[in-house]
Amino acid sequence: MAAVSDAGEVYPSRHQRRWEGFGFLAPLLFFALIVFDVPLLIVVFWSFSDPDTGFPSLGTYAAFIESGSYARIIWRTFLIASEVTIATALIGYPLAYWISRLEQRSQFIAIGLVTMTFWVSILVRTYAWIVMLGNGGILNRWLQSLGIVSRPMEFLYNEGGVAVGMINVLLPFLVLPLYAAMRRVDPRLLHVAETLGASQLQIFWRVFFPLTAAALGASMVLVFILSLGFYITPAILGGGRVPLIANMMDLLINKFARWEMAAVNSVILLVVTLAFYGLYQRLREKAA
Amino acid sequence: MSEAAHSSRRQPLWLTMLGLLTLVFMCLPVMIVVPMSFSSAQSLEFPPPGLSLRWYTAFFGNEVWAQAGVNSLLLATLASTIALILGTLAAYGLVRGVFPGKAVIEANFMAPMIVPSIITAVALFIVFAKLRILGTFFGLVLGHTILVIPYVVLIMQVAIRAFDVRIEHVAATLGASRMLILCKIVLPNLLPSAAAAWIFAFVISFDEVVVTLFLAGTNMTIPKRMFNELIMQINPTITAVATLLIGFNILALFLILALSRRGTHLRKGIV
Repeated sequence: MAAVSDAGEVYPSRHQRRWEGFGFLAPLLFFALIVFDVPLLIVVFWSFSDPDTGFPSLGTYAAFIESGSYARIIWRTFLIASEVTIATALIGYPLAYWISRLEQRSQFIAIGLVTMTFWVSILVRTYAWIVMLGNGGILNRWLQSLGIVSRPMEFLYNEGGVAVGMINVLLPFLVLPLYAAMRRVDPRLLHVAETLGASQLQIFWRVFFPLTAAALGASMVLVFILSLGFYITPAILGGGRVPLIANMMDLLINKFARWEMAAVNSVILLVVTLAFYGLYQRLREKAA
Repeated sequence: MSEAAHSSRRQPLWLTMLGLLTLVFMCLPVMIVVPMSFSSAQSLEFPPPGLSLRWYTAFFGNEVWAQAGVNSLLLATLASTIALILGTLAAYGLVRGVFPGKAVIEANFMAPMIVPSIITAVALFIVFAKLRILGTFFGLVLGHTILVIPYVVLIMQVAIRAFDVRIEHVAATLGASRMLILCKIVLPNLLPSAAAAWIFAFVISFDEVVVTLFLAGTNMTIPKRMFNELIMQINPTITAVATLLIGFNILALFLILALSRRGTHLRKGIV
């Protein structure tokens, strides 16, 4: 085993060159530079230049701050992302805990179901909420046929509807890694605590939860990052009334043709995402 | 089962209820959309008043949907194939190579998975507009390829790392070049993983919406058309499309799991 991992990095050639094997990744590196790195740099460059003259300028950032409406949408994106993250953790942690303590076969089925939902496209999972909760959807038809309401109730096209859709999409991102972390907890530790006379509640809060807290934190940061960039769910379930930052960027590009303002928003979202991603990596190292 | 193990599995009723409810909440979209797609009714009645295949007939009989389907298949095939070739080569270089800055290069290949796709969409939109390839199928293929690259590199790195390097050493001692070793020894052994990586990339490309909406121009794909229809109205044909997508994705998942059972090392790379 040791021989493999040691040798994995090193090739047996006696005359080792410094750039050994670089040629294999050169094609992809070139591709990534052209189709990803340079375009991102151009966006950063655009955000710092004057849209008319092309000279370096902070004008677009100034306009961004002055207008206030951009900041409001970003603030709202933060709020919704935080709410969604907390709600996902509050129902996702108990689910992962429950699954991890089922018997083997039930665990297999439950995790299979979670993995299946993870694999169904976000578009389909979002669409289903229109079928269920939309104005002409199943729930409203029931309510109307039972005579409870005369006109359809608006369950969707507000922040609550967007949040429900986002939580539904994001739950597997929290539950799957959390379940894996809970399986890694040594059951002997819990036994020891039990032998020493701790109650079930004490065992959970003083032994089990601290051992899984880092994994919970990492998954929550991941869910938060993902919610910041959500586009599809707010576009469909928000009915255009709950724009998040990604939807605003869509409008700036495709409707108002204000590319430089879209670039400023991209840079802000990018910086925030990368900062939280750094936090995610640190928590994940702690959890492992 | 020992007594101790059994007692640790006794769970409070409220936890069982909460767990079950959350699980149902997660599966609800699939549980609703699939039966609705076989409904005979024009409106969204649940349970469906009768069963029919009319929405599937409507889907397959519609030329716009058919064209979107052809586009999506072609796009996903091209993007995942290019990504598999470039990504496998790069994964081999990352695992076996010796050169400075490896971690940075690896992070660069993973970045399209981490950066929100709306940012990638905006960046490619601006650059492609300047290059005059915005709205072309070619541009769309480029955009999808960069999005699926991280998954291919990730899966193939795990696979190559698990492959016994001593076998390669023997081949090298016998005078084989690196390229020969990769093509004749490593790749034939990693075929299940490569197939899994390809399917993975295919599904991600096939379901992609955001970058497609920005770059596609008049090119229609299945998710793009679905998204446009959703914004406008409720059309039960979409339930049939959604059900087909669910079936397609679950089939792909089973294929990947079957392949990963043959390539022993693959599993932890995916789940």
